[in-house]
Amino acid sequence: MSHERIDLPQGTLDLLILKVLSLEPQHGWAISERLQQMSTGIVHVQQGSLYPALHRLERRGWIKAEWAPSDNNRNAKYYQLTRTGRRRLETETASWRTLSRTIEQILDFA
Amino acid sequence: MERELTTELQLHYEREVARLVAEGASPADAHRRARLAMGSLERVKEETRDMWGVQWLESAVQDGLYALRTLRRAPGFTLVALMALAMGIGANSAIFSVVQGVLLSPLPFRDAAGLYRVNTLYPDGTPYSLSAPDFMSVRERTRTFAQVEAMSSQVVTLLGTGEPIEVRGTRVSDGLFEELGLRIALGRTLLPEETQPGRSNVVVLDHGFWLRRFGGDRGVIGRTLTFAETSMEIVGVVAPGARVLEPTDFYAPLTYDARFSPSTAAGRRTEFLTVVGRAKPGMSDESITADLRRIGSELQAAFRNTNDALTFNAQSLRYVLLGDVRAPLLVLVGAVGFVLLVACANVANLLLARTSARRAELAVRSALGAGRNRLLRQLLTEALVLGMSGAAIGLALAYVATRALVMAQPADIPRLENVGVNGPVVWFTLAVALATSLVFGTLPALQSSGASISGGLSEGNRGGIAGGGHRMRAALVVAEVALAVVLLVGAGLLVRSFVQLTQSDPGFRPEQLVSFRVTLQGERYRDDVVVRARVGEMLERLRVLPGVTSAAATSVLPLSGRGAMVGFAVEGAAPPPNVNAEIALAVVTPDYFRTVGAALRRGRQLTEQDSTDGPRVAIANEAAVRRWFPEQDPLGRRVSINGVSWELVGVVADIVQRSAADPAIPSLFVPLAQRATRSVKVVVRTGADPVTVTSAIPPVIRAVDGGLAMADFAPATDLVARTLARPRFYTSLLSLFAVVALALAATGIFGVMNYAVTQRTREISIRMALGARRATVLGAIVRRAVALALIGSGCGLVMAAVLTRVLQGQLFGVTRLDPLTFGAALVVLIASAALAAFLPARRAANLDPASSLREG
Repeated sequence: MSHERIDLPQGTLDLLILKVLSLEPQHGWAISERLQQMSTGIVHVQQGSLYPALHRLERRGWIKAEWAPSDNNRNAKYYQLTRTGRRRLETETASWRTLSRTIEQILDFA
Repeated sequence: MERELTTELQLHYEREVARLVAEGASPADAHRRARLAMGSLERVKEETRDMWGVQWLESAVQDGLYALRTLRRAPGFTLVALMALAMGIGANSAIFSVVQGVLLSPLPFRDAAGLYRVNTLYPDGTPYSLSAPDFMSVRERTRTFAQVEAMSSQVVTLLGTGEPIEVRGTRVSDGLFEELGLRIALGRTLLPEETQPGRSNVVVLDHGFWLRRFGGDRGVIGRTLTFAETSMEIVGVVAPGARVLEPTDFYAPLTYDARFSPSTAAGRRTEFLTVVGRAKPGMSDESITADLRRIGSELQAAFRNTNDALTFNAQSLRYVLLGDVRAPLLVLVGAVGFVLLVACANVANLLLARTSARRAELAVRSALGAGRNRLLRQLLTEALVLGMSGAAIGLALAYVATRALVMAQPADIPRLENVGVNGPVVWFTLAVALATSLVFGTLPALQSSGASISGGLSEGNRGGIAGGGHRMRAALVVAEVALAVVLLVGAGLLVRSFVQLTQSDPGFRPEQLVSFRVTLQGERYRDDVVVRARVGEMLERLRVLPGVTSAAATSVLPLSGRGAMVGFAVEGAAPPPNVNAEIALAVVTPDYFRTVGAALRRGRQLTEQDSTDGPRVAIANEAAVRRWFPEQDPLGRRVSINGVSWELVGVVADIVQRSAADPAIPSLFVPLAQRATRSVKVVVRTGADPVTVTSAIPPVIRAVDGGLAMADFAPATDLVARTLARPRFYTSLLSLFAVVALALAATGIFGVMNYAVTQRTREISIRMALGARRATVLGAIVRRAVALALIGSGCGLVMAAVLTRVLQGQLFGVTRLDPLTFGAALVVLIASAALAAFLPARRAANLDPASSLREG
């Protein structure tokens, strides 16, 4: 809880949200928790930037939302991947991998 | 939406608190940390909200600034694109301001839409003015006009301090000012009772004349204008900008012979009134014409001797003032639109090349999270920035061009003083800039935003032309070429027409000929004898001036319109069908044809022997002979002019009175000795140096009569130039547009070939390494360019064949499908394409295979 937290590069939050949702539909808080888990606490998601990102992705049609009762019987907004979103996840993952490889190459060049 | 978000965030907050508590924090602490973790709820809500809407404005500004930066980083591209856009948009703005000022802006009359000019219609369809009794009858009998007024203008000599000068005065009927909406700036308007004889010696000055002659002196009311025959009291000045149909210096009440009345035939065939009617609300053109025809029939029945076969018609005032300038202006609008399209295609091509080069940059941006829409927006913003900047420069260019145009006053285009870069022009420019930006921006934007990221970043990307991109660029170039060809053909046709016009024979020899006008008015010229004596004296004195070869006088100069018409019939022959019984008459001195250089075809010249008491003789021109003596010998035949019998003694070649493109007007020439005129135009043929002679002429005239004003003193070549002014104007403009379009198209071809060579460097190098010769490589590239140009030219020639129809009315001596012009346009374009491709081709041929392959 007192690690150095690395801020996510711009734009990668979307990719991570898509990835989380590819596992199963979740609501906002659960996504945030899951991300923390998966990144073993190193990457810190500003919770304030989570919701704008979710709404952006929803506007783009990569995720869709519906209200459903949650585990404590309150209504929560659940997000899930759409088919376009799934395709987007694949291409973005591939691109990301290529990009990071290239950058690594450059950095190794010295 | 808002509520949902609040609920959602609330839930998140609660869960966060719960988790923290479960981990062992105190409730208060948990709440605090949860709040911290989430940031300000409001800010989160705000940011999310921003995602929906207002975000776009921020990113738009961001895009704009980014666009400016990228444009600044590529100065070559930006400069070329800006130039093309400035020329294209600027030319459109300039032409639009002409169209707006001349055609679209409202006429300077009150409710101009309801105003019509009424004409007398002769059997062959020629429109004429009305006579005073006919005007009174129309006024009396009309059912479709709410008001009918008349005016008549004439030139008079104004005396006073300094030289006598010629001024133009317009006599107006009692309600004309009110009908047209002329306002008074000083003093009063003319009163209805001042049209009565005896009370009509009052004038209202034109505003411009008041400034010029009286320096804007407000004490001018009550002073008098002194003319050769009368003096008139100044009672008012009209407001600036107030005018009737033609420019004038002053207005006076319209009076006519007391014998004229609507119920008699007297004076019905002396036509001199311009009649303007204001239609009753809701009257259509057809109902107005029908009503006028009805009045014509009634008058035909009532006054058979004078009004037989005559009727009336009406033309809208707008058409009267602007009619024959609308068509050529619209042609210019079309032409300049083509230039803009070519410029757009050029800039689109440039942008396509640039976005191909920027694929790496765009790929990275996309990987870092910019959505496709965002990229699209970015590229469109760049296009808009480019377009707006180009438009701003273009507007400045248009401003300069319109100022120059208004000052140069070419081609007597009406209402030129209205032309300028005003509100509507600025809005138009803005709209054009927006549309243009969208047109040339969409293509590259669509193409590049679909680019996949890996494609952009992969190493081998430099080789190979992106198939779709190149096709599009080639297609754009073909379109540019086609449009340029159309403009070239149009310009070529106009140029050939113009050349034919300049080479056409005007029927006389204008070089070394000067002319001027004197009007012999007033008491002392009441007697014809005095008129003839004066004219004779003038000519005598002029002939002895050193440098003068000959001098003569006429009542109608060449290239100055038709002149007066008189009743005409051939004695002993039936009148030809569908021909008015009238002819244009000119009164000349014996030396006239020799002085102006018109050729005598048959018979003899008029001489001194044809005296006042001798038998009446006349000379006809060839057009008159063709009309009244087809296949016959006119010499010796007798003709009747207004009832008096004359003998034809000669035939002279046709002298052009209007323009070479109009058919010759049948005319008759009679000696001054046998028919007097008071509007005398003197023509003087000079020897080698006209300048010394022209300065010697005014003293001669002053010596003959100090009260005569000389007007329109000019060389005859000016007359010729005036008839050429309008064709020269349109031809120059269209040629300018064609040249600009050609340059842009050539630049486009250059760009595409250059890019192709760059993209295919490796391929070319391989070829050369394998033994291809320089010349072959060069030839291949030039051939490709020529192929593109041929396709474009083909389309262009077909389009031109269809479109030259609109030029029909302005062609002279050239058919609209003239093969020479079409062929020349093709050749020029192919040659330009080959030339444009030459540099890139040379670059390709000079590639060093070894080093370029190594680079790849």
